[in-house]
Amino acid sequence: MIFIAILIGCILGALIGMNAPMISYTYSSYLAIAIIAALDSVFGGITSVINKNFDLKIFATGFFGNAILAILLTILGQKLNVDIYLAAIVVFVGRMFVNLAIIRRHYVDKWSETIKQKRTSVKEEK
Amino acid sequence: MYNKKMVSCVLGVMCFALTLGICVQMRTVQETNQTVSNNRQENNLRAEVLRYKERYENRSRDVERAEADLEKERQNSIQNNSALQEKEEQIQQGNKIIGLAEVKGPGIKITLKDNKKDIKNALNPSDLVVHDEDILSVINELRNAGAEAISINGQRIVPTTGIICGGNIIDINREKVGVPFVIEAIGLPEQLAALERPYGYLDILKGYGIEVKLERSNNITIPKYNGTLTYNYAKTIK
Repeated sequence: MIFIAILIGCILGALIGMNAPMISYTYSSYLAIAIIAALDSVFGGITSVINKNFDLKIFATGFFGNAILAILLTILGQKLNVDIYLAAIVVFVGRMFVNLAIIRRHYVDKWSETIKQKRTSVKEEK
Repeated sequence: MYNKKMVSCVLGVMCFALTLGICVQMRTVQETNQTVSNNRQENNLRAEVLRYKERYENRSRDVERAEADLEKERQNSIQNNSALQEKEEQIQQGNKIIGLAEVKGPGIKITLKDNKKDIKNALNPSDLVVHDEDILSVINELRNAGAEAISINGQRIVPTTGIICGGNIIDINREKVGVPFVIEAIGLPEQLAALERPYGYLDILKGYGIEVKLERSNNITIPKYNGTLTYNYAKTIK
C-alpha cells in the first residue's frame, strides 16, 4: 500500500511537472534549494527507518519545513547580499552523504551476514 | 503506531511534491539554457540579463494584449458606419505602406553569413564579415528591384530605419541584430532574384567569400514594425 502510494505520487508529480507552466528564472534558485532540502529529508527518513526511530510527524514536518525554511533563508541572503544558500547546500548535501553512508553500511552488513550464514549452513551439511 | 492509510497518503503527497519540483526545475533550467560558470560575477550578470529579458517579454506581451483590445474596440465602433469603415481601410492601406502592419506575399529570402575562413589566413579580417554597408547596399538593390516590404532578421524596414555598425553586431531599428542575416523581401520574385546577377552586390559579396543564399518563395511573411513612428518637426504645408 505504501509503495503503491509512493509510486502514484511520483508518476503524478512527473506527469504534471512535465506539463506544468514553467516558473520564471527569478524563482528557480529558490525551487532548487527547496528540492535539495526535501531530498535531504528523504534520505534522513530512510536512515531513521534503518535506525528504527522513524516518526512520520517529524519526517513530514521536516520535509516541508526544511524546504520552506531554505527558501526563506535564500531570500534573506539575497536581501543581505550574502549567499546563504551556499551554506544551506553545504549542510544539506553533507548530511545527505552521511545518511547515504549509514544506509550503505547497513545493507553491506546485512549482505555479508547472509553470506556468512550460507557458508556455515553449507559446512554443517558436510 | 500510525494508521497505514495516513502514512501512505502523506508519503504519496510528499513524493508528488518532490517529483513535481524536480521536473519543473529541470525544465526551467533546460529552457533558459543556463550554463553554470565558476565565476560568481558572471553568473550574477547572466541571471540579471535573464531577469531583464523576462521583464521585457512580459511588457511586450502586455503591449500585444493592449493592441488586440484596441483592434477589437475599433472593429466595434466602425461596425455600423460606412464612412468610418472607409477611413479604416485607408488607415490599413497606410499602415501597410509605412510598415505598421504585418504583410504576406511572394518574394525572396537572402541569407548572408560570415566567411568561415580562419582569421589568421586572411589578408584583411574585415573582409570576412558582413558589414552594415553590405546590408545597406543589398536593401538599396532590393528597393531598386521593386521590393514592397523588407525585413532583416524580423526587423521591418520603415522610413525611419537606421542600419548602423555596432561592433560585432548591427543596429537595425535600434535593435541588435547578428549573423546570420536573413533578409526577406516581398515583390515580384523573378525581378528580385535579379540581385544575383554578375557584378551585382551579392556577387561582389560572394567574391569576398561571404556565404550568400538566395531563395524564391511564394509565401513570405514580414512582421510589422514594433516601435513607434514619431514626426515632431516635419509639418505638412497646406
